[in-house]
Amino acid sequence: MTSVLVANRGEIALRIIRACHDLGMRAVAVYSDVDRDALHVRAADAAYPIGRAAPKESYLNAARLIEVAKRAGCDAVHPGYGFLAENADFAQAVAAADLVFIGPPATVQRLLGEKTAARRVASEAGVPLAEGTEPLRDVAAARAAAKRMGYPVLLKPAAGGGGKGMRAVADESEFAAAWRGATGEAMTAFGAPALYVERLVPHARHIEMQILGDARGEVVWLGERDCSIQRRHQKLVEESPAPTVDDELRGRLGVAAVKVAKAVRYTNAGTVEFLVDGDGRFYFLEVNTRLQVEHPVTEMVTGLDLVTLQLRIAGGEPLPFAQGDVVRRGAAIECRVTAEDSFGGFLPAGGIVALVREPAGPGVRVDSALFAGMTVPSEYDPLLAKVIAHGRDRAEAVARMRRALDEMRVAGVPTALPFLRYAMGEPDFLAGQYDTDYVPTHWPPAERGDLPDGAAAAGALAAVLAVRSRTERRAATPTDTAWARAAREDGLR
Amino acid sequence: MRYEVTLDERLVRVELTPDGRFTIDDRAVAAEVREIVRGWLWSVTLDGESHEVTLLGHDPMRVDVNGTEVRVAVVDERAARARGGAPRAGSGRVEIRAPMPGLLKAIHVKEGDAVAKDAPLATLEAMKMENELRAPAAGRVTKIGASAGTKVEGGSVLVVIASE
Repeated sequence: MTSVLVANRGEIALRIIRACHDLGMRAVAVYSDVDRDALHVRAADAAYPIGRAAPKESYLNAARLIEVAKRAGCDAVHPGYGFLAENADFAQAVAAADLVFIGPPATVQRLLGEKTAARRVASEAGVPLAEGTEPLRDVAAARAAAKRMGYPVLLKPAAGGGGKGMRAVADESEFAAAWRGATGEAMTAFGAPALYVERLVPHARHIEMQILGDARGEVVWLGERDCSIQRRHQKLVEESPAPTVDDELRGRLGVAAVKVAKAVRYTNAGTVEFLVDGDGRFYFLEVNTRLQVEHPVTEMVTGLDLVTLQLRIAGGEPLPFAQGDVVRRGAAIECRVTAEDSFGGFLPAGGIVALVREPAGPGVRVDSALFAGMTVPSEYDPLLAKVIAHGRDRAEAVARMRRALDEMRVAGVPTALPFLRYAMGEPDFLAGQYDTDYVPTHWPPAERGDLPDGAAAAGALAAVLAVRSRTERRAATPTDTAWARAAREDGLR
Repeated sequence: MRYEVTLDERLVRVELTPDGRFTIDDRAVAAEVREIVRGWLWSVTLDGESHEVTLLGHDPMRVDVNGTEVRVAVVDERAARARGGAPRAGSGRVEIRAPMPGLLKAIHVKEGDAVAKDAPLATLEAMKMENELRAPAAGRVTKIGASAGTKVEGGSVLVVIASE
């Protein structure tokens, strides 16, 4: 394997390009019409246009991607996450074109991709599940099932992943509207409207276990991540170790994850997701048959590079270590800086990024595709950058994260930074006391808090800018500074 | 020149004298304002304390001060007096605009409807997600600006409410 087509965009495309370069491989980027200027295009060794902005006409166009891979002389394809990463037909088409698919093969993806099929696999492997139904298309049947298991329930797209199209339903009066919304979103996102109903485990924590498997059938678990801080079932903050998971529970989750993986002869990187309730009981949710957005958290704690391992495993190498060799050190947190308005219900917002400063310093890593002057396209996921902080323990990781977020600047588009900064100083988060209800119960805060120490500086600047705009409206001699001039005019008046 | 600057909900009076001195809330302050990136980033020192101010967005003006986001409104004192003193509250007309281009999936209200604060007004599909736009205040719907099933530009007015 010497040349990899990176079938994705944004920060993950850049992450994969870096891994290729670390292994001395060539990386080939693809881009839609609106991504011509993107960072991943410039970082790659070659770059090919694949069509219009709409995902269906570019990053989801399997035939086009394979054609580009062949034309560019690639021998492998890395799908990243999202887009075609969990599309078994794509994995099959890549293999049929004599290209290496970097991820689990189509057969494994089929067994785990459909969520209710994955539940059957887990159940047969002896792993506990939350109560749930088979895929349903009929609203009456679904409503009856919900009533049987008792509210609250979750509606989930059978074909889905990544939280898209998922709806929590508190009681029967909300059912019809939630069903309509979720069916529509499942159709848009996955082209399949079928949903299943699952009992909602209240105050659950969303814990996932990273696994790696090789072609010999070896599977290891690397550690868990707590991804409970979410809005619209989309994760905002992830950390490892999970504050409520002790060594004993971690071991049980690891063993359960490996059982599910071995049942389907899993290869490459994957994540087994669980819900964990307040009493340490856990329930299998699903398997993400791909690299996760939050994989850097595990990389920081284990010191492993998951993407180069993906490439090596896909190239036929055995896992270079055994379960007993995996060492977890300290704690790591990831914050997702998305183009969403923290103060406006996290509505995504596009625009032009006027200025960017990314944090750095001890224990801080930034995976980002941001640059000043970029236009944030409205066609794709609003993730702009991931800030990851590592420390000897959770307290040090949080302190470094707080420092990093304070350093970060993104001007021109609204971002999730105000929420993320708030969470890193919020007592429940600091105590590790949070679950999937965290965002709606903690944000926005009842009061916007005290003004920062330097707020008067904003006042001084606002006055300077007001003077400047007044002066710019009046023609003036070009030798003076704008506000000395305005100040003098005021003095003369 | 004297300015009334509103930072979040707090009012600060800033005076800029002809020789470049600042008075903040009637206290003389040794201030220096250096523009680092034209139009976006400034270094401000106030009595020796160092602050960094980044303009995050216009209309409404949002700035970042040392890592905290603050909303800013500024009027000069004469304009404030002419307007009858304190900065005005909302005029009563509230426009709900599309935060970005997308497909308007549904409008949940019609002209004349009374809506409660946080009532869903429209569903906009953008960035692969369905986004519920909610009423920022209670009031009556006075205008619907777009129809369901159509593509809308970012910033286009979808619903207008006369707030109570």
